[in-house]
Amino acid sequence: MASVKLTKVKKIYDNKVVAVHDFDLEIKDKEFVVFVGPSGCGKSTTLRMIAGLEEISEGTVEINGEVVNDLQPKDRGIAMVFQNYALYPHMTVYDNIAFSLRLKKVPEDVVYEKVTNAAKVLGITEYLMRKPRALSGGQRQRVAIGRAMVRDSNVFLMDEPLSNLDAKLRNQMRAEIILLREKLDTTFIYVTHDQTEAMTLGDRIVIMKDGYIMQVGTPTEVFEMPQNLFVAEFIGAPKMNIIKTELLQEGGEYYVTPFGAKFQVNDIKGEMLKKKAVKPGEILLGVRPEHISLAKPGEEGIDCKLVVNEMMGSELHLHVETEDGSSLIVRIPTVDLEDEERASLVAGCQLRIKFGGKVMHFFDPESEENLLTDKA
Amino acid sequence: MKRYSDLEYLRLSKGQRFANKLAAFFTGIPGAIGRFFIKIGLAIKNGFMALVNEIKDILSTFIHGDWKTKTSFVIMGFGNLTRGQILRGLLFMLFEAVFIIYMVTTGGYWLSMLPSLGKVGPTSEYNAVLDTYVTAYNDNSFKILLYGVLTIFFIVAFIYTWVVNVKQNKLAEQFLKSGKKLKSDKDDLRSMVDEQFYKTLLALPMTGILVFTVMPIVFMILVAFTNYDGAHNGFSNNLFTWVGLDNFNTLLSWKGGAGGGQSYSATFGEILTWTLIWAFLATFTNYFLGMFVAMMINKKGIRLKKMWRTILVMTVAIPQFISLLYVSKMFARNGLINLSLQSLGWIKEPLPFWEDPTWARITVIVINIWVGIPYLMLITTGILMNIPADLYESARIDGANAWQQYRKITLPYMLFITGPYLLTSFTGNMNNFNVIYLLTGGAPTNPAASGAAGSVGYTDLLITWLFKITTGAESQYYLASVVGIMVFVVVALISLVVYNVLPSIKNEEDYQ
Amino acid sequence: MEQKRHMGLKTLNRVSNTAIYILLIIISVVWLIPFVFILLQSFRVESTYQVGYVIPHEWGWQNYLNLWNSDFKRWYLNTFIIALASAVLITIIQLCMSYTLSRFRFKMRAGLMRFMLILGMFPGMLTMIILYRVLSDLGLTQANAVPGLILVGVASSGMGYYVSKGFFDTIPKSLDEAARVDGATRFQVLYKIILPLSKPIVIYTILTAFMGPWGDYVFARYVAFGTSAGYNVAVGMYSWLTNDQIARMYTTFCAGGVIVALPVTILFLCLQKYYVEGVTGGAVKG
Repeated sequence: MASVKLTKVKKIYDNKVVAVHDFDLEIKDKEFVVFVGPSGCGKSTTLRMIAGLEEISEGTVEINGEVVNDLQPKDRGIAMVFQNYALYPHMTVYDNIAFSLRLKKVPEDVVYEKVTNAAKVLGITEYLMRKPRALSGGQRQRVAIGRAMVRDSNVFLMDEPLSNLDAKLRNQMRAEIILLREKLDTTFIYVTHDQTEAMTLGDRIVIMKDGYIMQVGTPTEVFEMPQNLFVAEFIGAPKMNIIKTELLQEGGEYYVTPFGAKFQVNDIKGEMLKKKAVKPGEILLGVRPEHISLAKPGEEGIDCKLVVNEMMGSELHLHVETEDGSSLIVRIPTVDLEDEERASLVAGCQLRIKFGGKVMHFFDPESEENLLTDKA
Repeated sequence: MKRYSDLEYLRLSKGQRFANKLAAFFTGIPGAIGRFFIKIGLAIKNGFMALVNEIKDILSTFIHGDWKTKTSFVIMGFGNLTRGQILRGLLFMLFEAVFIIYMVTTGGYWLSMLPSLGKVGPTSEYNAVLDTYVTAYNDNSFKILLYGVLTIFFIVAFIYTWVVNVKQNKLAEQFLKSGKKLKSDKDDLRSMVDEQFYKTLLALPMTGILVFTVMPIVFMILVAFTNYDGAHNGFSNNLFTWVGLDNFNTLLSWKGGAGGGQSYSATFGEILTWTLIWAFLATFTNYFLGMFVAMMINKKGIRLKKMWRTILVMTVAIPQFISLLYVSKMFARNGLINLSLQSLGWIKEPLPFWEDPTWARITVIVINIWVGIPYLMLITTGILMNIPADLYESARIDGANAWQQYRKITLPYMLFITGPYLLTSFTGNMNNFNVIYLLTGGAPTNPAASGAAGSVGYTDLLITWLFKITTGAESQYYLASVVGIMVFVVVALISLVVYNVLPSIKNEEDYQ
Repeated sequence: MEQKRHMGLKTLNRVSNTAIYILLIIISVVWLIPFVFILLQSFRVESTYQVGYVIPHEWGWQNYLNLWNSDFKRWYLNTFIIALASAVLITIIQLCMSYTLSRFRFKMRAGLMRFMLILGMFPGMLTMIILYRVLSDLGLTQANAVPGLILVGVASSGMGYYVSKGFFDTIPKSLDEAARVDGATRFQVLYKIILPLSKPIVIYTILTAFMGPWGDYVFARYVAFGTSAGYNVAVGMYSWLTNDQIARMYTTFCAGGVIVALPVTILFLCLQKYYVEGVTGGAVKG
């Protein structure tokens, strides 16, 4: 029901520390945007500036085209879910959810209807008369969401709502948030440090580091075309292997030469390199663990030693060491392996690995920018 | 001092490490002091720059402002009124009117008399009707000083308000120019319980502090530079006047005192030394013994924990003047203890609990332990229970005995958490009037110091001395002020050193 | 071998526990004895001065009757009024102050706190001289000492905000923020969210503010300045133990002590839990 626009938003604390630098972003109506980044990257601060809980040092925040810099949180038409739920401990679940409505002097029967409706949607009807203390983490989370739901707000802000839950509950709640989003049909801004959450929930992901936006894009875009080394390593688990190597151009074709092996860059990526007129020379080559496979005998590949074999169930994570001592991670689905092949993968054994030209990422060793994307 | 890398440091022996730390501490002091002064210098410089900028800003507001803004430079609140902020405007105007009326009627007089503190003292005049001499009271130094200080406060407040007035005009003008709406009176009132709620909440407490703490302290600091005492009460006998630094000279010089006894500075030095010894012993005996009692009660397997605690806590509730006065009489020459010991035949002469200087000093410290342990027991119990049990468990597995567990786990943890409390407790003990005054009243009297103001005793702290000076026959208020300032200086110095040099307390904030 | 060692630990523990019990009993006796003595001596009627024994030879209510026939009633009432008024007003002021300093981040906040820290380093006694003169100009000394003492006690109580600020600091800020997003003004946040959660610290503040005046001696003496009608219990009863009165009034003092200590102690023991919470929190927060 509302668009949000941030223009050159800046947060400078009293001690002159800049938490957020010139943050520019337009969030469309009904979009689900996720701010993600390591702790201290400014993602929560940005969210809190949108909410009005943190003063905006410079720049403007607009909601539905109206500048809200000087508005109190309650006048911005937002609802917010906090990391530690922030339930009022002395009120029952019912009173917690009804709190905002009562402040607005909504008639009690409307309050009743709205609260019970929200409770039904969230499956917490039977807990309405309990105090938050008597609820489990997941139930508290639902109450916090319920409290935000009844406000009929234009923008739904969520500040790491799942990070206090255990892994299993987190997966469950994540699915519920997706459902909730369909029901509420409003604009969402969601903050998390967990890239999996970001990838599964967001229409668009904003990846931040040290107060700067590193990349804005759909999950597919940030995964397949990371703008820079930081995004490349941050998105995806286990993280992308980064290899310092040489980019060669022979007869119009590009090659990379990691650890003495020589792999050809495939046509599409080659075309892109050509178009960007990338000069041969030293580059940082990025390859995701799942894009590395075991080479068949006689194939071109990198010789290395298996250090640790992590059995993850559906896949293996192989930590290998090349001859010059660099570490790489290889991720191999277990279904692809024959039994005796799997049995031979013990620590200390020699392996030969390879990767295809389609899945390579090229970064400038100096600026760490992706050589194939346009500058952000 | 040699700087070691971490790995080199680990190879040092215990003694070397200690020497290194000690050296670091002492070589750190000049740096800390230097940094302190640099900080002050920077603060002054920044303050000055801010002032210059402020004046520039005000000038440019006047030059570029419209006529409403310009008029507001003379008639405060004019701009607010003409721009629709009636409430603010009226308040500004009212404040200006009150200020002008006050300055014209009385403020000017107090201010003009401040440099002299009064010219004409009380005079005797012949009254023909009564056919007798009556005293006519003229200038009143006390009131001149008091109201002079108040007037200066008022002037500062006025200048501040005037600056705020100018700034508001500037902002309002800019707001209107950029097409924004100004806050209405209703918005202002609403913000009193919302954005500006802190101002509403602080108004009452801060007024109280300003009038009943700040103003008196400023006044008393000024008194230290006058000769205000019983013989110069500024009103009915003699006026008092400014004497510059004379009082500080008197207190700190080695000249003999008025009664031919030892000098003020010797007396001051003796009392200061005892005050520091007392504060140190009172703080740490209570701290360690209180912790010991708490640990005994906390020990696993000890039953009736609640009862032991309640017995001790109960003594906190009983007003100190009852317990202290009673105990003081118990230890008196003809008190319960001496009388019963005598009747038992254990002693012939009464023990000189309050008569002998050393006995008296030890007795007050022992009784203070009695007073303080329950309180410290309460404080430490809570913290002791917060120490994670797994620390002890892992220490036991590592082979630590009870004493080692205390030395290596309990004590560091306690000192870390209670560092700031120890500091406040130390300064609190320096000013612990009640215990000393109710127990001994400073006795036994120190004959050598009798020349100094009041009758000074061996257990007197600076604070009880100060009290005696003001209530003594001569009522040397000026001397009391000087002593008070000295107490402040000592407390401030100790706090400064503790906060800046000791790392464990400096890091305390990080820990929270 | 195993068995022996086990036994050794157990006996060791028993020995140390016994030692602790003995120590605790001694401590309890030492701590309680003066109060038991006061109680016993308040019933002694055969003599009024200090004696070398504890159990009265003759028991009676004479000392309590003496209290009734002295100014003690007036002193007690004075103190009670001061304590009650202080409990209400000081609590309001300290809560305003500490809540503000805990929750609002305004420009002068750090400066204000440092300023109050420095103010606290001046001995409060220094201000007595002038406060006495000001109060006397307002007619609030001697017989009218009660309103004067309330005024002075309450006025600067804002400086004692540390303990309750420490408590407020432990209430998560996100509660305030959630309430503000929910549409509450700052006032409503305080009134509807924070205050209901602050019962322990409110009770602690009331309790300490109420108990303070019962032991206030020095300033009360200054302000009442020799006029018995303006005394509080501490000043009045102190005068009974001066050298010329003690022989006559010693046992009466004990009776007075019992009457003063009893209600305060009972109140305190009922609310002990809150006091302990406040004291512990205060020390940890500094």
